[in-house]
Amino acid sequence: MIQKKLIGIVNRTLRIREIGSLSGLLIIILVFAFLSEHFLTLANFVGIFTMTAELGIIAIGVTFLMISGEFDLSVGSVFAVAPMTGAILMNNGVPPLFGVLAGLLVAAAIGFLNGFVLIKTKIPSFIVTLGSMMFFRGLLLAFSGGFQISYLGENNSFLNALGGKIFFGMRASGIWFIICTVIFSLILNRTKYGNHVFAVGGNQEAAKAIGINVSKVKIINFVVCSVMAGFAGFTMFGRFNSIDPTAGLQLELEAIASAVIGGAVLTGGYGSIIGAFIGAFLIGILRSGLILAGAPSYWYKAFIGIILVASVILNTKIRKTVAG
Amino acid sequence: MGKNTYIFFIVSLIFLNSIFLFASGKQEAVKSPEQHYKFYVVTHGGISDPFWAVVKKGAKDAGDMFNCDVIYLGPETFSIQKLVDMVETAIAGKPDGLVVTITDAQALDKPLRAAIEAGIPVIAINVPDSRENYDKIPYLAYVGTDDYTMGIEAAKRMLEEFGTGKPERAVILVHEVGNAGLEARARGIIEVFMEHDISIEKLAGSPNASENYQVVDAYLTKHPETDAIFTFGPLGADPVINLIEDKNLAGKVKLGGVDLSISMIKAIREGDMVFTVDQQQYLQGYLPIDFLVLYNKYGLIPTGDIITGPSIVDIGNVDSVADMVNKRFR
Repeated sequence: MIQKKLIGIVNRTLRIREIGSLSGLLIIILVFAFLSEHFLTLANFVGIFTMTAELGIIAIGVTFLMISGEFDLSVGSVFAVAPMTGAILMNNGVPPLFGVLAGLLVAAAIGFLNGFVLIKTKIPSFIVTLGSMMFFRGLLLAFSGGFQISYLGENNSFLNALGGKIFFGMRASGIWFIICTVIFSLILNRTKYGNHVFAVGGNQEAAKAIGINVSKVKIINFVVCSVMAGFAGFTMFGRFNSIDPTAGLQLELEAIASAVIGGAVLTGGYGSIIGAFIGAFLIGILRSGLILAGAPSYWYKAFIGIILVASVILNTKIRKTVAG
Repeated sequence: MGKNTYIFFIVSLIFLNSIFLFASGKQEAVKSPEQHYKFYVVTHGGISDPFWAVVKKGAKDAGDMFNCDVIYLGPETFSIQKLVDMVETAIAGKPDGLVVTITDAQALDKPLRAAIEAGIPVIAINVPDSRENYDKIPYLAYVGTDDYTMGIEAAKRMLEEFGTGKPERAVILVHEVGNAGLEARARGIIEVFMEHDISIEKLAGSPNASENYQVVDAYLTKHPETDAIFTFGPLGADPVINLIEDKNLAGKVKLGGVDLSISMIKAIREGDMVFTVDQQQYLQGYLPIDFLVLYNKYGLIPTGDIITGPSIVDIGNVDSVADMVNKRFR
C-alpha cells in the first residue's frame, strides 16, 4: 500500500514539467554551496537573479516560440536594435516613454517580418531568423559606426522603472522577469491561445485540421519573441543608460540553452515558461558559482556546454519514463 | 495576391538595403584630373568596437583630405580567419596600397608577401610583425604601438597609485577572450605584477555588459581584498565603472583601463576610474593613408616605426583629452 502511494507520488512529481530543470538547479546549488562559503547568501542570489533577468526575459519569448515549433536566432540583434532606436530618439528630444514604445514597435516589426517570411516562403525558421539576425546586426553596426549611445537626457525616472535599483541589489529588471514569467505561464497553461501554441508545435497538421489558424499563431509568437527581446534590451539600457552595438551578441544561443535546460523540446510541442526561468537562473548561477568556487573563469563556456547536454538527457529521460 | 506580394516584398527589401548602404558609407571622393588612388584598410578590429571606429575615422578623414578612396574592412568580432580572408579580398581589388594589422604574422605572411611582390605597397598598423628581422614581412612602415607595451605601461601606472605600498590583489577583465590584442595587454600587465609578487588573474568576460558586471562582482565577492582592476576599452570598462558606483568602491578599488571613451573620461573625472592608457589610434588610420599617397606619388616613405603610444590619461590631463574624445579624434 505504502509502496503504491510512494510510486504514485514519484510519478506525479516526475510529471511536473519543470522537474528536470528544478532538480538540476538544486544539484548545482548544492555543489557550489559546498565549494564556496560566499555562495549561499541572499545577497548573492538576489544579485545573480537580477543580472540574469535580461537573459531570462529573452528566454521566455524564445520558449514561447519554441513550443509552437519555431526558432528565433535574431533575438540577440533585436536586443540591441530596439534600445538603440529608443536611445537615438530619446537623445533627440522624444520623451522616454515614446522612445521605449518606438523601440518595442521596431522589435515587433522585426518579429512580424520573421514570421511573415517564414509563412510565405516556408523556409525553416532557423534560416529565416539567422538571416535577420545578420541583417539587423549589420544595419546596427552601419548606423552606429561602432560607437555606443549613451542617454544624454535628464529624465531618468522612466529608465529607472525599467532597470533601476529597487532594494538590496535587486533591480527593476528582476521584477519584470518575474512578472513576465507569471503572465506568459498563465497564457500558456490557462488560456485557449496557450492550447493552440502547444497544438501547433506538437502537430501542425492536426492543429490545422481542428481549425487552428497555424500561420496566425506563429506570426503572433514571433512578434512576442521579438518584443520580449527588445524589452530585455531596454531593461539593460535602463541599468547602464547606454547601449553598445555589440550588445546581445551570442545571447540568442544562451536564450535557447535556457529554454532547453528548462525542458523545451527543439521540435516543439513541449516546454515550460517557468522552466525557462529556471534555465536562465541556472546559467547565471553557473557563471557566478564558478568564480566563487575559484575555478578559472575561462572554463565557464565549457561548463555551460556540459550542463546543457546533461540537462537535455535528464529531461528526456524523465519525459520518457513518465510517458512510457 | 501571392506572386505580386512576393515581388513587391523583395524589391522593397533590396531598395531599403541600398538606401541604408548608400546613407551609411559613401566613400566617393570628388574625382579630380590627377591620379585618384584607392586604398584598403583591413584590421582585426571588430567594426562594432568603438576603438576601431576612431581608426576608421582617421582613415576616412585622410581619404577626404588627400582625395582618394579608402575602403575599411574589419570582421564583426575578432577573427584571424576573417582578417586573412578580407586581406585577400582587398588584394584582389588591386589597390594602390594596403594598410593591415599584423595580428597573426604567420597567417598573413603568404598573402602579404604576394601583395608586395605584385607591387602593392603595404603599411602595418596597430600590431607589428614581431618576428626576427629576416623573417619579417617586408612592409614599408609601421604606425602604432603594441598592446604588450600598453599593458606594461598600464601596470606601471597602477603601481604608482599605491605609492610605496603595492596592491594586494589584481584582476584583469578580458571582454573578448582570445583576442590577440587584449591577451597581449594582459600579458604585459601580468608580467609587471608578477615581478612585484602581486596576485593577479584574468577573468573571462564577453561583449555583454551584464555578464561582465556579474563576473567581476562575483570575483570581488570571492576575493574582497582585490584592490586593482584592469579593463580594456569601453566594453570592459563601462560595466565595471557601474559596479564601482553601485557598491561605492571608488578609492577602495582602483580601476585602470586601456583605450578611451566618453564614459571612461566621465569616470576619470568622477573618480571611479583612475587612469587609462591611450594609443592615439586616429593616427593609425590617418598617417598610413598620407604615407601611401606620398609613396605612390613621389616614392617617399619614413624609415622607422611611427610610435603613437602609450600615453596615460588621468585626472591631470583628462579635460584636454575629453574634447577630442567627443569629436571622435581619440
